[in-house]
Amino acid sequence: MKDFAVTMPPGSSTIPTSVVVVEDDPASADVLQRRLQANGMKVVVGRDGGEGLALVRQIVPDLVLLDVMLPDTDGYDVCLRIKSDGSIAHIPVIFLSARGEVVDKVRGLSCGAADYVTKPWNAAELLARIDAVLLQSRNARPPRLEPQAERPERGRPVAAITLKDPARRAEAEKLLAPRFDIIQDGSVAVDLILVDDSATPDRDLADDGAAILVIARGSETPAAEFARLDGDLARHAELLVREMRLVRDMGAAADALITLATSLEAHDRFMMGHSERVAARAVSVAGLLGLDQAAVGTIRLGALLRDIGNAKLPPPIVHKAGELTAHERESLEQHPLLGEDLLRRVTPLAPILPIIRWHHERLDGHGYPDHLTAEKIPLEVRVVSVADRFEALLADRPDRAAVSEPEAVRILQGAVGRGELDPAVVAALAAQVRTAGQEAEQ
Amino acid sequence: MKNIVLDATSDSARRYEHRFLVNEAVARLALRTSGTYLPLDRDDRPYQWSTTAYLDSYDWRIFRSAEAGQALQLRVREYHRTRPNEILAGASVYLEMKDDSASTSFKERYEVPTMSLPAYLRGEQKLPRDENGLVERAERTIAGGVRPVVVTQYNRIAYSAPDASMRITADHNLMYLAVPWVANDESSLPCRIGPVIAREPGVIIEVKWYQELPRWADELYSYIRDHMVNERPSKFVVALRHLLGEEQKSVAQ
Repeated sequence: MKDFAVTMPPGSSTIPTSVVVVEDDPASADVLQRRLQANGMKVVVGRDGGEGLALVRQIVPDLVLLDVMLPDTDGYDVCLRIKSDGSIAHIPVIFLSARGEVVDKVRGLSCGAADYVTKPWNAAELLARIDAVLLQSRNARPPRLEPQAERPERGRPVAAITLKDPARRAEAEKLLAPRFDIIQDGSVAVDLILVDDSATPDRDLADDGAAILVIARGSETPAAEFARLDGDLARHAELLVREMRLVRDMGAAADALITLATSLEAHDRFMMGHSERVAARAVSVAGLLGLDQAAVGTIRLGALLRDIGNAKLPPPIVHKAGELTAHERESLEQHPLLGEDLLRRVTPLAPILPIIRWHHERLDGHGYPDHLTAEKIPLEVRVVSVADRFEALLADRPDRAAVSEPEAVRILQGAVGRGELDPAVVAALAAQVRTAGQEAEQ
Repeated sequence: MKNIVLDATSDSARRYEHRFLVNEAVARLALRTSGTYLPLDRDDRPYQWSTTAYLDSYDWRIFRSAEAGQALQLRVREYHRTRPNEILAGASVYLEMKDDSASTSFKERYEVPTMSLPAYLRGEQKLPRDENGLVERAERTIAGGVRPVVVTQYNRIAYSAPDASMRITADHNLMYLAVPWVANDESSLPCRIGPVIAREPGVIIEVKWYQELPRWADELYSYIRDHMVNERPSKFVVALRHLLGEEQKSVAQ
């Protein structure tokens, strides 16, 4: 991609609005760029649709001003591509075009543009429209979350006390000090936050990993999540923190299982690193399908642990290079059930059990172990199945050589045609491979 | 069983239907010419988004039949002002059956409440019988199990004769999208739309008529044929070819 220069107006002190202008006529682009820069905006110009789209993906600007008639494509197509890409779809687009017929405007707006301004434009009107569009866009955007502070390794637990009354704060500090390190600011992630019963925890201190203990006033008996400033406070707080750590430990246990599953593959040079590649591929495909974060997390963990049942099978069968006998195949096809059995009692891993059990099922019912058909196989499982088969095709095996990514996509599309795999999942994979190929060419 | 069809339209005779992929300049000329002789279709807001979900079985029985020249397409159509990211989200949809041969077609169209669509696709709700027998054929296909498998989205502008004897449409921004396999279940609604599998680079012009084209339309038809990029099979066939990776094979043939 070409380098681009960003010009800032002198004396600018606030964060400027960044704008990508997609305009093929140099004179028009120059006039527009100067006018916007004079009004405190950072402006980058793309000379055609391809360059403009690349700039939008690279910069993720606040606004796109888009000409309709471009040398390589039309502005409608560029707008649709922006609105079809989840990472940039939120960016408002304003069309700037000499085409002023009603149908042109309707077409532009129906492509997802926020506004349509005809050339020759009037600067005051254009700036007013930009202001209005940006205002609507900023009001609609959810707040960005700050990254969480680093959580220290095990040691004495850390507590933050946010009680308003200085005397109560001092009393709490005295009660907790024997068992907790007390901090005054948000520089370290805390294990516990003490708050007044009418207060909400400080956003700088609270994160998903901190236990929150509300300090009740008066003499009434506090509920389980409440405590009083008395000799029992430290014990109560410690129990709460221990419970929270137990939840975190489940995550660590899952990590240990992943290590176990990975180490099984490490004994097989053809399989080494396969699960990580399957998980990464499955996560990427799930993102393209628009699955939510929880589903993506389930898919990642399920992909990493899907073959953990192999740990219960004789290694010579699992790692056999040649053709399997009928008996060996029957044994190997037990691994989904063995894996499910292994993880069944680990309650927090319940969401991934369908992936463990069903990742060899097929839409046409000819998979195993339950011969499920079509939509009875959950979408998360179908994603992992496709990623598994795709990554397997990319690796050398004793009985065949690796194939290229496009060839692997064609093979999977053939499997879709035979009714084995979910067409949308394979289509998402194909789109990903196609995009990666185009980016590599550029 | 209670009939919950909101509205129905039917073709009383087989309609000629030809599709062409053309560039923007040819499309503009075709639309200007059509606009001189025909009014804008009252039912079509210009350039609104038409979203059509095509149904098929997991072993692609409808698509394979269409490739063999014997197709009864089953599809669900919706209209929106801006492009939706999911299907079957509105209060009602049009459930359509279309017998699509090489150059002619029959079509039945029923407006049904969206929430009752899964019951139709499970075969529990029945549509009123039509004179062309499409509903009866559709019921046999539905009994084999069908789901939305692919979606097309495009901006359509349509000119139509007041007596419906002919219709000329131009489809811009045509996209083919995949749909993850879902159960025919009310809880599956609305369905997410999957990734874009292909985009049509030009404009699809469709010319549809019942008996004879008037002279001006005949000349326009010839002009389009002479200047088209190529003649197109139905959107359903093109979409499925893209989905199954068979588009290159069809081009090679």
